[in-house]
Formats: sequence, structure tokens, C-alpha cells
Amino acid sequence: MSAPLLSVTGAVKRFGGVQALRGVDFDLKAGEIHALLGENGAGKSTLMNLLSGVYTPDEGTIHIDGKEVTFNNPREAQAAGIATIFQELDLVPTLDVAANLFLGRELMRPGGFLDVPAMRSEARKRLEAIELAIDPASMVANLSIGQRQVVAIVKALSYASRVLIMDEPTAALTVGEVDRLFDIMRKLAASGVGIVYISHRLEEVPQIADRVTVMRDGRVAGVTEPHAPQAELVRLLVGRPLDELYPERSTKAGRTLLSLRDASFRLAHESAGWQPPSGVSLDVKAGEIVGLAGIMGAGRTELLSALYGTGLSGRWEGEVAIDGQPVRLDSIRAARAAGIAFVTDDRRGSGLMLRMAVGLNLVMSVIRRISPFGLMSQRRQADAVKQSFGQFDIRPKNPDIAVGALSGGNQQKVVLAKEITGNPRLLLLDEPTRGVDVGAKGEIYARLRQLAAQGLGILVASSEMPELIGLCDRIVVLREGRNVAEFIGGVDEHTVLDAANGREA
Amino acid sequence: MSEQKISVTASPAVPAAAPRHRDPLALVVRFQSLIGLVVVAIGGIIFSPRRHGQILFLDPDNIANIVRAVSETGIIAIGMTFVIITAGIDLSVGAVLGLSSVVTASMMISGGFGLIPTILAVLVMGIVFGAIQGTISTRFRLEPFIVTLAGLQAARGLALVVSGNQYINISYGDGPGLAPPVFAILGERLFNNTVPVATIVFIVFAAIATIVLNTTRFGRYVFAVGGNERAARISGVPVSMVKISVYAITGFAAALAGIVHAGQFNFGSANDGMGYELTAIAAVVIGGTSLFGGAGSMVGTVAGTIMLGALANILQLNNITPAMQLLATAAIIVLAAVLQSLVRRREGLGR
Repeated sequence: MSAPLLSVTGAVKRFGGVQALRGVDFDLKAGEIHALLGENGAGKSTLMNLLSGVYTPDEGTIHIDGKEVTFNNPREAQAAGIATIFQELDLVPTLDVAANLFLGRELMRPGGFLDVPAMRSEARKRLEAIELAIDPASMVANLSIGQRQVVAIVKALSYASRVLIMDEPTAALTVGEVDRLFDIMRKLAASGVGIVYISHRLEEVPQIADRVTVMRDGRVAGVTEPHAPQAELVRLLVGRPLDELYPERSTKAGRTLLSLRDASFRLAHESAGWQPPSGVSLDVKAGEIVGLAGIMGAGRTELLSALYGTGLSGRWEGEVAIDGQPVRLDSIRAARAAGIAFVTDDRRGSGLMLRMAVGLNLVMSVIRRISPFGLMSQRRQADAVKQSFGQFDIRPKNPDIAVGALSGGNQQKVVLAKEITGNPRLLLLDEPTRGVDVGAKGEIYARLRQLAAQGLGILVASSEMPELIGLCDRIVVLREGRNVAEFIGGVDEHTVLDAANGREA
Repeated sequence: MSEQKISVTASPAVPAAAPRHRDPLALVVRFQSLIGLVVVAIGGIIFSPRRHGQILFLDPDNIANIVRAVSETGIIAIGMTFVIITAGIDLSVGAVLGLSSVVTASMMISGGFGLIPTILAVLVMGIVFGAIQGTISTRFRLEPFIVTLAGLQAARGLALVVSGNQYINISYGDGPGLAPPVFAILGERLFNNTVPVATIVFIVFAAIATIVLNTTRFGRYVFAVGGNERAARISGVPVSMVKISVYAITGFAAALAGIVHAGQFNFGSANDGMGYELTAIAAVVIGGTSLFGGAGSMVGTVAGTIMLGALANILQLNNITPAMQLLATAAIIVLAAVLQSLVRRREGLGR
């Protein structure tokens, strides 16, 4: 048997006292799509950084085509044919597509001038090679996330063409965009590129991967084939069987908390790419978890943020009622007064003050309650923090460390706990488990179900279909800002997808 | 350049970005300084005092006066444009201008150096001063704001040391202790006494800067560093070198402006160029360059500079007090910034 395209043997990496990798073996064949799974902190990012030359291993070796190599920096890894696409995509939003593709490798005319026409036409050729109809002269800031993802792939392939490492490429994509991305990945693999595919989404693995490596605690927990049962993958990931990811439903719906009847959000200014709610009718009852499904651009996030007053400026038309009373939801203040709480999909950007302590973040939603006469009461603050810690099992249980130092799952628990501490009637959640590992996911689902049982109404938008199907009592499908279908929880995924895509079932 | 060929059969193409209809507001902002310049010029014509039926604002002497008066802050603003596109700022430029004017005067008068060695030495000093600030800022990961604030103090301090807190008058003639008469040309006009030499220096510098920013690899790197520093670094852009270079450019520009200052006014003083950094930043922002970095235009900066000068000129012609001039400038800066912010929000780049 010939040597694999890429292999790692006995890789060890320490950071101070922390051992991130404890002897990892990993290999990749030409033309293979190899999924790398692991919870946060399992070591998959560290492994990826070794392969892309960001770190060098303390022990162990890396071989390409059976020859040992060492990478001292990303450029050396690229020269060896390894391209890495990081989650942040590393594009310059204010430059055009061609300029991004050639950044650091500009084509020049004699005399030291940029050859813009040559770069544009070459960029067009490369984009057309994967049938991507993007104008090379358009600014990256004006592209969708899915388009940016593909631009990043084309860019990576332009300087390293043998191994492609993709760090959670589907995290911000819609179902349709994921399908197109997978098409492109399959084509690349067919042309002989080896692809390391890092993901949190177990359900994607059988769709795309040829082989799966699961990491846990800096070790390889197992290598398996992609059609292994999900329970098996979860067991490898978590290290113990996870009985049930989704809690039992308990549909004891109470009174109607939120009621929308042909409700539309009139924007003060039109905005490209922002799909306002247009003619939505839906109810959320006390004790109910209602899901919002839809493709990217269907207006899920927009509906939640318009309800909470954090979207663009505009006003609601049609019937919007909370607890039977018509309300004007035109500002965050109005939404909070109506008992609405909102958890954004962007916890690092707008959910948390990352540099501030966990405790200070937790009391942010009840700051009035703990500051009588405008003076911060240390005692009330401590009580509120204690109460918040009771909401979720946040680790470590220390209110004084900066929230940015927590894992993604624990950060998400802080955001949720913060909003719940304010005792809302209606909780709006946008992508509540994005970037959260499986263990923390199960915990969050269970707690949400408990809160619903106590009478909270929950409206969840998610691009992870299994999450909506597993967690929600009802799923409302949005398309172009309007509700087009409704299903009860546990429905077949394809039925929902068809409705979301506007196909007849 | 390795080339990647991917053979593809039918596949659903990712849809192209919806063709963006031109946002009129975006166009206004793109050309805001030019539009502003035209508006100010029209206002100047309308409100200009007249003498013997002649519009004073359009008098060749008056126009020459406007473009001469803005040439020093203009030169500084050109350098500042590079820095601001990288999302940086340079507060030291006014002080470096003062230091350069003092050193120019004292090298020629007290030092007995010739014209060419003096000019070269001062320009190199400016470059080194800027490069040191850039190096400190990148090496120790300090905000350029604080590093160049320190640089401002340092340059003023050095200027006081060199000048002994005295005006150094420049006398012309041949021999030691006198500046060569040709240096005085910086205060004169060429082409039948129409175009001020200081303005020519400004425009030539602006032209070179425009070419560098828009057509060279370095210019592209300046945009990339300001647009997404991490992306630039991973793409192999020498980010630290680019940053150090842009501060070297502002240092060079401030030194050049200092030489022009000494030549125009025939003396060097440690107080020269006080507050110029703020006028230059205002001109850059009015010119449409984003303080968030990643976007900007040299032509805009030139237009913004001239617009501020023309505005001050109209107000002076109408005997409006300096206090009102400051308030008018304030209003224009806010207006320019508001327009940019509106467009940023529409394009989804806003904060």
C-alpha cells in the first residue's frame, strides 16, 4: 500500500501546563474527505494548527507522501500543498473578490504596478471553474456568507492544492448553501485533493465524509466509518452514552403569549439582504417551544430581531399582541416591558461583554433591580449572580473570571442564564447552540424544556433542522418573510426542507 | 503561482450577488468632498464681496492664496490618508512639522549646511521619526493613538531643544550663516506669478501618493491591512512592515511640510504646525476615508483639504469671525462623518 497523502504520528503539544494533544495519530488519503469531530477542547483545533503550520508539535512527526516535513509557519505548510480555511474566512471585506484571491500574490505589470485586468480575468476563470457566478470586481462585503465561503476555498486552492483543511465551514450556512458546498467538496476530492473536514454537526457526517476521526481530551477516541449510528459517534465524542439528546416533549400549552396576525414590519429604509417579516401569522403559547425554520434569507433572524426591536428601524403593521394585549414593539425598551427576552446568534459580538467577569455579565439584564436609587448594591448583585448560576450549570463556577475565557458552550449558558434571570414571559432564541458541543447542547435543551414547563414561551430560530425537530413542539416554516407551513415536532426532516425551499411535498 | 484546475460537470451554481443598484447616498459619499468643494465654490461665488463688479473670491490672487494656504496641511493630509486607511492615526505630524522647520532653519543658518544636505537630512529625520513610532506601535502592540501622542510631545520637545525656544530667522545670501536664495522660491509663485510653489509641491506629492495607493502592491497592502489585518497576515502580507511604512510616510510628509513652512515664512519656530494634525485628519475624513480603515481615496483628501481652505477663505472675505469659522468647520466634519456612517450601515459594515 502506498503511503497516505498526509499522516501525523504521535503528535504531542503542550501549552504551559495544559496538554492539548497527547499523542495523536491521524492520516489522510488523496481524494478522501476525512471528518474530524470533537467537542470544544478535544484538540481538533490544535491538530489543525499543527497541520497548517501555525504551531509546531512538541513531539511526533508529520509526513507528506511518506516524507517527513516540518512547518515553521503557515507559508511553509502552504508550500507543501496544505491550505487551511479558518472559520473567520480571512477575507478583506473592503477589497473586491479578485484583490482577495490574489492578496499577497498580486500579478504585476512591469514597473511595479498592479495588473488589475489580469487579476480580474484570472479570478473569473477560477470562479467559473467551480461554476460560481460572482463578479470578481464586487466587494466581498456585499457577498453572502455562502459566497464568501466559496471565495475563501478558491483562494486557498490557488496557493495550495493537495490538502484542504476546513474548520466548521458549514457553521454559518443555510441548508441550500451547505448542499452546494458539499458538491464543490466532492468535486475537489474527485480531482485528488484530500480534505480534512472539521465540524460540530454530526448529522452532516454521513452526507459528506468517507472516514471519521473522533477526538476527545487530546487523544483520538476512535476512527470509524461515516455511517456509524449517531449514538456511537456521540458515545465517542462525550465518552459516555448520552441517553437522549432531546428531552421529552410535554405539550401542556397554556394561554397564548405571543400572537401575530398578518403582521408585517415596514422598514424605514429598504435594506438589501434583510428580509422583513411580511404577513406573518403565528402563536406562541405559555409552556410551548416553537421553532422557526427556513432557508438563509427567509427572515428567521429578522423576525426575532424585529420583535425585540434590535433590527433595522421601522414599525409593525397588522396584529401584534402579547398576552392578548396589542403592543407596539418598536424598541428594545418596549419589548422588555412586554416581558420579552432575546438571545442573539452572535454571543461574542452582541451577547456578551467578553472582557468582563461572568458575574457582571449575568446581572446585566436585571441591573435596575440591583441598583436601587441608581447605586449598585453589592448584596443584591451577589444574590442575582447566585440566582443566575442556579439557572445553568456554568463551568467553572466562578463569577469573577472573564466570560471570554469560557468555552463556547459555557458562554452560551451565560447568555441564556442572563436573560432568564430577568424572568421573561417570552424567550426569543436565535441559533441557541451554534458552536456549542454536544454535551452542553443536551444540557441546554433539557433546561429550556424545564423552563417551558414552568410557563415560559419560547420561540427558537435555528438552521439546524434536527435541533428544531427534536426540541420543538411546533415548527413554523418561513419563506420570504412569511409563514408558509407548520408542523408538529418530530416531523420528517425532508418534509420541512421541502416547505422551506418552496417545493411541493 | 500554482494553478488549480477543477473539472466540473453540472452543479447548481451559487447564485451571484444580487446586482446592487447604485445607492444614491453611496454615490454622494463617494464624491462627498468633490461635491462639497463644488458647493463651497458656488457659495463662495454667491456670497463673495465684489469690487468694481469683480468677484473677489474668483480673483486669481485669491485662488492662489487659498491653494497656498492649504498646501502644508494638504501635504500632511496626504500622508495621513495612508495611515488612516490602515485604521491607524498619527497625531505627531504637526509637531514633526515644527521640528522639521526648526531643524531646516538651524542647519542652514547656524550649522552652515547647504540646501541639498539640509533638505535630505530633514526628510530622512521625518522618515526615521515616523518609522520609530510605527515600530514601537507594532512591536509592543500599542495603539498608534497613544504612541503618536507621545511622539507629538517628543517632537515638540526636540524642537524646543534645537531652537532654544527662539525664532530662527532665515536670511538669504551666499556664505556661512545664510540660506541660499533659491530656498526662498517656496514662498513665491511660478508661471507668470500665478501658481504658488508650495501648492506645486502639494499637488506633485498628491499625484505620486495617488499612484502609489491605487496602482502598486504596497497600496493594495495598505487597504488590506486596514480592511482585515488577520486576513492580510495569513495571505502573506508583511503587516508590520506596511504599518511601519505608513508612519514613515506621514513622517516624511510632515518633514516636507516643515521645509515648505520654513521656506514660506523665512523662519523656524518650535510652535510651527500647532494643531495641523487635526486639520489634516478633518480633511481626510471629509475626503471620504474611513476611520475604521480599509477604504479611502487620495483625490478625496485633496478635495477635502481645498474645501476646508476655500470655506475659511469665504468666511474671511466676508469678515466672519474666526470663532464662526471654527463652528462652520465643525458642522462640516460632523456632516461628512454622518453621511459615511449612514452608508456603512446600509452596506452592513456598520457598527
